[in-house]
Amino acid sequence: MTHFLLVRVGTALATMALLSAALFLATDALPGDAAGTAAGADATAGERAELRERLGLDRPVVERYLAWLGDSLTGDLGRSAAAGRPVGEMLASRFGSSVLLVATAVACIAVAATVLGLLAGLRSGRPVDRLVSSGTVTLLALPEFLLATALLAVFAHGAGLLPAVSLIPLGDSPWQHPQALVLPVASLFLAGVGIATRLLRAAVATAAESPAVEQARLSGERGPRLAWSYVLPAAAPAVQGLAVTTAGLLGGSLVVETLFNYPGVGSELARAVAYRDTAVVQGFGLALAGTALLVLLLGDLVSGLLDVRSRSASATGLRGERRLR
Amino acid sequence: MSELSRRGFLGIGAVAAAGLSGLLTACSAEPAAPSGGSAATTLRAAFAGGGSAETLNYFVGPSALDFVRARLVHAPLGAIDPAQPDGVSLGALESIDIDDDLTSYTLRLREALTFSDGSPVTSDDLLYSLRAPDELQGLPFTRLVGRGFDLSAAKRLDARTVRLPTASPIADGRLLLCQSMLVIKDGTTEFSPRTPSCGPYLIEGFEAGQQTVLRRNPDWFGDGNGPDEIHLLSISDAEARVNALRGDAADFVSGVSPYSAQSLAEESGFEVSAGEAPYLSNLRFEMNLEHEPFRDERVRRAFRLAVDRQAVVDTVYFGRAAIGNDVPAIGFPSYDSSLEQRLHDPDEARRLLRAAGHDGMSVELTAGPELPGMVETATLIVENLREIGVRATLVELPAGQLYADYEAYQQLPFAAGYNPPAPFEANHTPGTFPEVDTLVATARSAPDAAQRTDASHRAQQLLWEQGNQIIPVFVPTVDAHTDRLSGVRHLQFPDLSAARLASA
Amino acid sequence: MTRSGPRRLLLVLLVLLTALALIGPWLPLSSPTERIAAPFQPPGAGHLLGTDFLGRDVLARTAHGGRTLLLQALAATALGSAVGLLIGTLAGLARRGPLTWLLRLVDGVAAVPGLLVVLLTAAGSPGSDLAVLVAVTLVSVPFSVRVIGTATARLTELGYVRTALARGDGRLDVARRDILPNIAREAWAEAGLRFIAATQLCATAGFLGLGAPAPEANWGRLVRENAAGAAAQPWATLAPAFLLVLLALGTTLLADRLTAPARPQHPPQRTPS
Repeated sequence: MTHFLLVRVGTALATMALLSAALFLATDALPGDAAGTAAGADATAGERAELRERLGLDRPVVERYLAWLGDSLTGDLGRSAAAGRPVGEMLASRFGSSVLLVATAVACIAVAATVLGLLAGLRSGRPVDRLVSSGTVTLLALPEFLLATALLAVFAHGAGLLPAVSLIPLGDSPWQHPQALVLPVASLFLAGVGIATRLLRAAVATAAESPAVEQARLSGERGPRLAWSYVLPAAAPAVQGLAVTTAGLLGGSLVVETLFNYPGVGSELARAVAYRDTAVVQGFGLALAGTALLVLLLGDLVSGLLDVRSRSASATGLRGERRLR
Repeated sequence: MSELSRRGFLGIGAVAAAGLSGLLTACSAEPAAPSGGSAATTLRAAFAGGGSAETLNYFVGPSALDFVRARLVHAPLGAIDPAQPDGVSLGALESIDIDDDLTSYTLRLREALTFSDGSPVTSDDLLYSLRAPDELQGLPFTRLVGRGFDLSAAKRLDARTVRLPTASPIADGRLLLCQSMLVIKDGTTEFSPRTPSCGPYLIEGFEAGQQTVLRRNPDWFGDGNGPDEIHLLSISDAEARVNALRGDAADFVSGVSPYSAQSLAEESGFEVSAGEAPYLSNLRFEMNLEHEPFRDERVRRAFRLAVDRQAVVDTVYFGRAAIGNDVPAIGFPSYDSSLEQRLHDPDEARRLLRAAGHDGMSVELTAGPELPGMVETATLIVENLREIGVRATLVELPAGQLYADYEAYQQLPFAAGYNPPAPFEANHTPGTFPEVDTLVATARSAPDAAQRTDASHRAQQLLWEQGNQIIPVFVPTVDAHTDRLSGVRHLQFPDLSAARLASA
Repeated sequence: MTRSGPRRLLLVLLVLLTALALIGPWLPLSSPTERIAAPFQPPGAGHLLGTDFLGRDVLARTAHGGRTLLLQALAATALGSAVGLLIGTLAGLARRGPLTWLLRLVDGVAAVPGLLVVLLTAAGSPGSDLAVLVAVTLVSVPFSVRVIGTATARLTELGYVRTALARGDGRLDVARRDILPNIAREAWAEAGLRFIAATQLCATAGFLGLGAPAPEANWGRLVRENAAGAAAQPWATLAPAFLLVLLALGTTLLADRLTAPARPQHPPQRTPS
């Protein structure tokens, strides 16, 4: 286990290093730069050059990257080219909100997927299974932007029941204003619940045929007790599937946050790319990717721990699950 | 996400030569009506904002909201106001006097102006404010004054008076001074909610990309009929802003898309207001003279005649735009409204194109969502050009990208662009037509006003005949608000300081 | 799973839809870029699905809006699968060394939000459908590599593959002769999943205004363009949205069928957007 952990953490760090270089170079390679965006149409050539120099954009890209890397290792993520705010500070004000959004959605998904997955998996092939499966297939087919647009149209415009824009009063956290969270969370929930339910249903269906569950069934276990005590533990590796879903939702939040004006990382990232704000793309992009890596690692660890009984068998099983990502 | 940051990055340009909100209730011609009741009023106004890159340091702030906020917090020297004889109405200044030879300006501060820390605003503060854009390395649009005046030679005459020599004689220095210059305290380098300021509102709280809470400054020299609190909300997406208004999360939203404006105007409970001339941005399509076909004056004229301007006004803007005549700065005093309006004439356009031997020519039009309706107008123009036999195609850039690589932008054969409301002469970019450049120089520096107007009109006439810009429409900033709100003055940016909100 | 009746119907619809998307631009409809009436007109004569935000024919634009999307997704899937097969089998055959590390790294790279990759690539060459294609391929490759690599690694344990490798056969030969035929089903199923993800990512890119510029129709873009007028003219938004859903649903079911017999528990993967 320790070896596994070390290898995984090492790989994650190597990936992050590689990503940071790739992101930096990619942002830098975009036509135009932050100085051009900031200067606007009415600036003189001299003013442009001065701005470029002030933002350090006249230095070679490798030099700038190394400087950024050195600083970031000491915890300084650089400053936004747009207005000079420290990226760390920007990230601090945004990251929590995004985590809250995704975490709430994932919590809802976990509950719904467990219930639906058990319902369908234990009655494999029967009407309830077909209903759940059709539902999940339909949800799988819907991209986030359609879900969010539809929710907006129905609940915010049509019915006027819920706020269409997530406006969080100054100094408050989004969790103090649950009504602002409903629609963004619902969009992400619907986007993720399909895949998670399918993963769980499949794991449950397999587990339901295992000798252990068969044994329990024969000894008279029925209903929720059978599901809870025998089937669910056997299906535990599906927790990995939830991790995969979570990682996907982190990216999906980019669209959802933008549509609902939710003050998170995703909406900021899109702005930063448009502005050629390299330091912000770096900081925010790496934060998203890093979180995704962490979630995946946790998923692997938890499912590995839960599946202690058949470690050797699970190795291939886990690998099998990986393809679901 | 073409909407995503479109308004956010409108920023720089839009504010550039901004007449902006006057916030000059004290100087406004009509006295504001007394406020409805004694209950504290809060106005929630939504703007595009600039995400978490927003800053209180308006010299480097990338978005229009940064400047709207700054105008509420720091007293502006004045605002562009074509209704006034001088073309400006004054704010923190009491007077701007110009020497007869146009080489020196004398600025006098209004009396009893104080900062929020209690200290009086003095000529040292004014001197510092004038130099701050350069010293604090402001973005180009904040540095207009430095281009026309010799700031290093500026001198303090007494506690309230500053003498400011020009770099070369100019008659329109008042416009430069009143476009974007705000008063800050001598020595200010950091901008935080606690930084002393002297505007109509004080900052209570600020969270970049989300909200600014402003409270009325009790010591402001104006008559203070505005709301007790103004909450500036940052909502980057235009449709999301409209949703906020519909959902009663905002009382006022700035920058409404033409279609949403149209549908809001038809709904009860909302009012839509659009800026009027001169507070209109010109939407222009520039034909690059480096591109061979455009060197032929007939091709340029053909392109201008091909454009169905009325269709643009009707279809893209639902009537909320002014038809353009290929000359900039509509509504400003020197705008030559006697020029004949150019009409849609595809037959003549085809004939001219054939005569020039360029029928069937190919051209690529580049546009981006930098101004509401820019891409849509470009789409229609491409269709118009196809009708006269030009193989026209549209290249749409993502939001924020049009000006990002300015060198590349200047090389484009046929590109969309826009200029915020600004007088023609001071913002004329020389280098394309030497004859026009000479006339504009005369229009800025001739000692006699009639001479200046004449030169300006001749320059505009030349541009109308041979110029390389198509200006099909002048586009207002369209705002919407609940019908409980009144008293918002519509300048380049909305002036909220005299708004009144009736209780629901 | 769904009963075979509705499912077969969906598959027929999918085939029709694909055909429609591909030949849409050649159908004798009005021009997708020409203004034919006032904006957001409800359905009427001459414009069966009404007009869009600029007064253009929604039917014509919807007919034009599928091809690029479909071709983009197909090309990205083909490219991604090809690269995935090549790297995946070679890395899977390698028992140790840099290629196994590559597998681990690929695992990590897959954690990058796909939309970020698309945003960056598309911003790099604005208005290019090709850029979107490349970006979607980039997003898709790590997943393919991972799956093919794992499948290959499983086969590598088998006697005949070991024998072949021990005999000194070239890895490419082994991959072609001994591996590919045996992972064909998994590879196809994986390609199906990639295609669904690619369709969604391409549509999202269109929605975000990336890819081919303005007058060009694209189902994702059409949804965005016309969302503001959805109250007055819902068809302009609903028509492309409906086709998008149908396309995704059809392919999901198809992919399901490919996976189902061998391993019923292989659900497709949601767009890691």
